[in-house]
Amino acid sequence: MDPARTLGPAQIDVVAQLAASTVLLGGIYALIAVGLTLIFGIMRVVNFAHGEFLMLGMYLAFWAFTIFSLDPYLVLFVSIPLFFLVGTGIYVLVMRGVINASHNVQIFTTVGLSTALQNVALVAWTGDFRFVRPWHSSVIIRSGGAAFNLSQVVAFAIALALTFCLFAFMKWTHTGRVMRATAQDRDAATLMGIDTDRIYRLTFAIGIACVGSAGVLISPLYQVYPTAGLQFVLLSYVVVVLGGLGDMVGAMIGSLIVAGVEVIGSYFFGTAWKEIFYFVLFIGVLVFRPAGLFGQRGAETLGV
Amino acid sequence: MRMRAAIALVLAATLGLALAGPRLQAQPALSGEYKIGVLEPLTGSLAFEGKRHMDAYEVMRDMINAQGGVMGKKLVFAVGDATDPTAAASEATRLITREGVKIITGTYSSTLCGAASEAAARANVIYWETSCVDPRFSQRGLKTVFRTEIDGTGFGWYNIQFIAKHLAPRFNMQPNQLKVAFLSEDSSYGQGVTESARRRAKQEFGMQEVAAEYYAFASTNDFTPIVVKFKQLNPDVVFHIARGNDAVLFWRQSREQNFLFKALVHAGATGYGSADFGKALGNDGNGPFVLAEPSAGLKLEMFKPEAQKMEREFGEAIKARSGDLPLASHRLAGSGLWLLKVVLDQAKTDELEKFRSTVLSLDLPVGSMLNGWGVKFAENGQNANERVQHYMLQWQNGQMVTVWPEEFTSIRAKWIPLGPWDQRK
Repeated sequence: MDPARTLGPAQIDVVAQLAASTVLLGGIYALIAVGLTLIFGIMRVVNFAHGEFLMLGMYLAFWAFTIFSLDPYLVLFVSIPLFFLVGTGIYVLVMRGVINASHNVQIFTTVGLSTALQNVALVAWTGDFRFVRPWHSSVIIRSGGAAFNLSQVVAFAIALALTFCLFAFMKWTHTGRVMRATAQDRDAATLMGIDTDRIYRLTFAIGIACVGSAGVLISPLYQVYPTAGLQFVLLSYVVVVLGGLGDMVGAMIGSLIVAGVEVIGSYFFGTAWKEIFYFVLFIGVLVFRPAGLFGQRGAETLGV
Repeated sequence: MRMRAAIALVLAATLGLALAGPRLQAQPALSGEYKIGVLEPLTGSLAFEGKRHMDAYEVMRDMINAQGGVMGKKLVFAVGDATDPTAAASEATRLITREGVKIITGTYSSTLCGAASEAAARANVIYWETSCVDPRFSQRGLKTVFRTEIDGTGFGWYNIQFIAKHLAPRFNMQPNQLKVAFLSEDSSYGQGVTESARRRAKQEFGMQEVAAEYYAFASTNDFTPIVVKFKQLNPDVVFHIARGNDAVLFWRQSREQNFLFKALVHAGATGYGSADFGKALGNDGNGPFVLAEPSAGLKLEMFKPEAQKMEREFGEAIKARSGDLPLASHRLAGSGLWLLKVVLDQAKTDELEKFRSTVLSLDLPVGSMLNGWGVKFAENGQNANERVQHYMLQWQNGQMVTVWPEEFTSIRAKWIPLGPWDQRK
């Protein structure tokens, strides 16, 4: 008899472990998705190069660890301002030119950017798999029948903190309000005297800083290679659509849902099924609640 | 008018000569040369590996010529660039019709060998494959195709052989008492190896299959659910075909979950078979078995004297050319081409019926070829699993070392059964 189908008192450890895995995997997805939901939600740009900035963050952590023996958590202090600058630069050089163009043009541009960045990484650092192995990546925490990795717990904690900070920033600061206003109606915002170009630049820079830092944080958990970003980026679109565009808390909850579907689906039905489950969920949300599970005005206009 | 006629005559003559040119070249027998077609991907995404095969063919061709050539003639190549399946088929046709070859060898990749050999078979030309592992290659009932390497199902065959003949006795168990959990990435390679292993494990040894799971390696970010499930099923052996990152992730998360099994067995140069596995995990990666080409520990003296001599000569020539010791791909191509010489010398002709009966009558024991293989072809043109000796390697202290078959190696397998995770140093 398949033990996966018998849930009795002896299975409490299993339930505890699946719950812990869901939460921790959800943390990693949230970390990647918050930057995307910001750019997607406010600029209405589908950034296909999102995964490549994640990859660049992973390489930053790798080189800092290999050359200077810097722990990824220290690199975080460098990565946030560094990726903010990178984001600003890419916005000025690439995104500004297509911000008013059609979605097709934006998609071609960001896919082009994605391919270019992957190949730059391939040429500069070869296609080899690289590893970051700080002391905390092999520390195992055991509690109440569940076991997890310290690096994963830290990634989750930071994801939670980051989500809260962005949520607070969007909700309670003037700039945040201005960003939301721009997201809801770009033309009206312009009429109110908002410099939308500056807002977009800021949004893109914050989004890239988030995803770059996410790359640094997950580097102890996953191997670093030029196409590492592709492993996560498709999922973050599902998360963003589930949670509602530009909704930080929605992204967090969406991440937990996707991770839960993945973990529980893999356990009960087999790994081969997990993508079917969350893409059915994805299509379901698009059909029945196009604004996301928690809704946001204006999201429907995106026409994803 | 006369002028025009003269020009037309000159043009026609030139054209005639141009067309006749290749045909003139196609009669090398008169000049003491014997030409075969060599098809490898020399440009494009597969070229990286194709060039290694080509290097090995050229090194082996020179060795053959230094030892009397083939059928007393100098062996020469007509080379075709098989970038993709379409090019493989059209280049095969070109080699046959324009270069007039009666034998084609190549093409290393499983994506190419099917198309190339199909084209050769249509023209009734012998196709001598030295490397591709697609099982379908030898299942098409073609009388003109032969393969010196085992196919993907052979890897599954060997892994089960190792589990039944080596691991089971060391666990003090009968093969039919063993519980095996199968886990594999879902490419055609992973599925081919795993399915053939499942069949042999069940039908021949009556092993108990407790799970069979496939996953997409590029989008699996967490193996915990599988590890938790396997932990409850309590298998003795985990049969895992991995592709890259998935090997490291599964192994690391098994350790986190304190999932204890007696052995893990993999096949191929990816996943556990890649040097990256050791780099990522160091001593924490000690224990997994990998079916691959031999590495440290191999006892060369177990080969036949002539095979030892050839292995050394070939190794030096490859090193002089590429700066490195021969890789698996070099050995596959080199020994495959040598075997073709052996067949041609015995058959004394490239005429299909005679060639085929010579191939089928060859019976060389393990240790006869430069990579330690033996030869015994089946009716379908496939060299036998038992003769195409593959080796089991194990990760020991951050290095993959040869541990099986024991008579061919000086190093012994450790940690059988694996035991607690922190006691594998």
